[in-house]
Amino acid sequence: MSSLSQFTCFRTLLASSLKTAYQRNMPTMNAGIQVRERHTKHWAPAFKKLRRLKVQKVKLPNFREEDTISELTPDQIRSRMKEQGILPPRSWMERPITISATGAVFEPYIPPEGDGKLSSLTLGGAKQSMEFLSKKSKSMLAVRKIRSFEDSFSPSTFAEEAQDIYIKAHKALVEKDYDTLHQCVTELCFPLMTEDLKMCTTRWQFLKSLEPPRVVHARCTDIINKENIFSQVTVRFHTQQTLAVYDRFGRLIYGSEVVAKDVVEYVVFEKHLANSYGLWRIHEKIIPDWMPAREPGRKTYVQQKPVVESEPVADTAVPATPTEQSAAVA
Amino acid sequence: MEILLRQFQTKSFLSICKCLEPAYSHATSWTSGNAMLGKTLFHTSNTVAMPYNPPKGPRKWPIYNKKIFAPQLPGEERRPAYVCHMRTNIKYSPFKMWYVASMIRGMSVDEAIKQLSFVNKQGAVHVKEVLLEAQKLAVEKHNVEFKSNLWVAESFATKGLVMKGIRRHAKGRVGLVHYFHCHYFVRLEEGSPPAHFFFETAPKTTKTLLSEWVDEMRQRRIPGSL
Repeated sequence: MSSLSQFTCFRTLLASSLKTAYQRNMPTMNAGIQVRERHTKHWAPAFKKLRRLKVQKVKLPNFREEDTISELTPDQIRSRMKEQGILPPRSWMERPITISATGAVFEPYIPPEGDGKLSSLTLGGAKQSMEFLSKKSKSMLAVRKIRSFEDSFSPSTFAEEAQDIYIKAHKALVEKDYDTLHQCVTELCFPLMTEDLKMCTTRWQFLKSLEPPRVVHARCTDIINKENIFSQVTVRFHTQQTLAVYDRFGRLIYGSEVVAKDVVEYVVFEKHLANSYGLWRIHEKIIPDWMPAREPGRKTYVQQKPVVESEPVADTAVPATPTEQSAAVA
Repeated sequence: MEILLRQFQTKSFLSICKCLEPAYSHATSWTSGNAMLGKTLFHTSNTVAMPYNPPKGPRKWPIYNKKIFAPQLPGEERRPAYVCHMRTNIKYSPFKMWYVASMIRGMSVDEAIKQLSFVNKQGAVHVKEVLLEAQKLAVEKHNVEFKSNLWVAESFATKGLVMKGIRRHAKGRVGLVHYFHCHYFVRLEEGSPPAHFFFETAPKTTKTLLSEWVDEMRQRRIPGSL
């Protein structure tokens, strides 16, 4: 060890003796800081302008334009389109529009608290009396309105049909059969169901229905005209299902293929009554606040720290002469 | 099926509205009369508002991101996630970009970003941006849990658009000036980087060394023998 230290000392001594006086006095040379020196200067700078004129300037296309388009004002966009010789779209361009589904649930059903948690065989469950649709006047009016378009509509038969549509829709979703899915599900529901599962594989099984499906709510509304009527019927399902979702690489991210879960759901079905080709399709789901929390995903997230606004520290002047404190530090 | 209908509800609404909204025009006011109508979803016929600009440059690399693998069996080893990302037509020469691209092969993402921050090349700026974008994509869209748990599996650059200009030389001679662009491609894979990415630089095991020595010894011949 001692021999090594002797060797290093010797090397530094040698190095310092080889340096010129100028180098020894230059702080950058001695401190070992990385200094960037320019190596790209021409040896005859007087002829720079003439040298520049030798090369014909070529206008290169800007490939990074798309990144900045969103930040442009309409006037800027207009001037760029003029440069490229693109005609603006005509403002009176007419396109036929078809409204095949509403955008929300009107007068949503509010499920009673604790529904589905207690079995009807227990004391608490027996006390929870079942609500009858016939006692709800507004729903019955809506049912009557539906009957004016569809003679054979009745809440009891419709509940079974609704379950068939539900199963058909979910099977189509699992198989990614979007043509069938559009028949079973409205335009509002379709992206909600498919968007997150586009890159995933789903395995779903409908095991059995624990309680017969029940119509709990019905409403009708008109869009634009008084005759253009849409009807929404809420059906309550209590079923047993299994669900397993795998990500793009075949790794399980949610649920299990073997574990069956009891599911209480309030599914809203919608139909465009005024349209003779209208179908009953799944529109939305009612998720009440008292529903238990979902199974958490198998993923960790970076916890966002709350932003603590601290008071700005006042700048204090550094004393020119050493004080007791700074002397102590030194 | 609780998760299916509730996740990202507002996001899909916005995405629908944006794609149906014709560019550079204002929303029609006739929908504002009925409050319920303002929320309805429109089916429209083909959108023919702007002239069609065909996509230019390479398009196959991101298609690898769309491949969906079959669900793994319970006993199988967990398949590592990967993400393919690229940046096309970077104003930089592919011959120069080769140095930057090959430097980061086999490095972990963090190490690669650290090194690229201090490489004295313009291409390094682009490569670093692409790596950061790819890292973000991996976490958000490809179910990668930890953004540091990625390594550079593939990194290469290819020739992009080349525009030719002219310059004059002495005695009326003409020279060609090439304005090079390059495309940069990277594939990040989940997991820790392999101990030796390049086979040639990996240290040989004693077994390999022994077998090689034995082969060399056996190849010896006595010149001029029968």
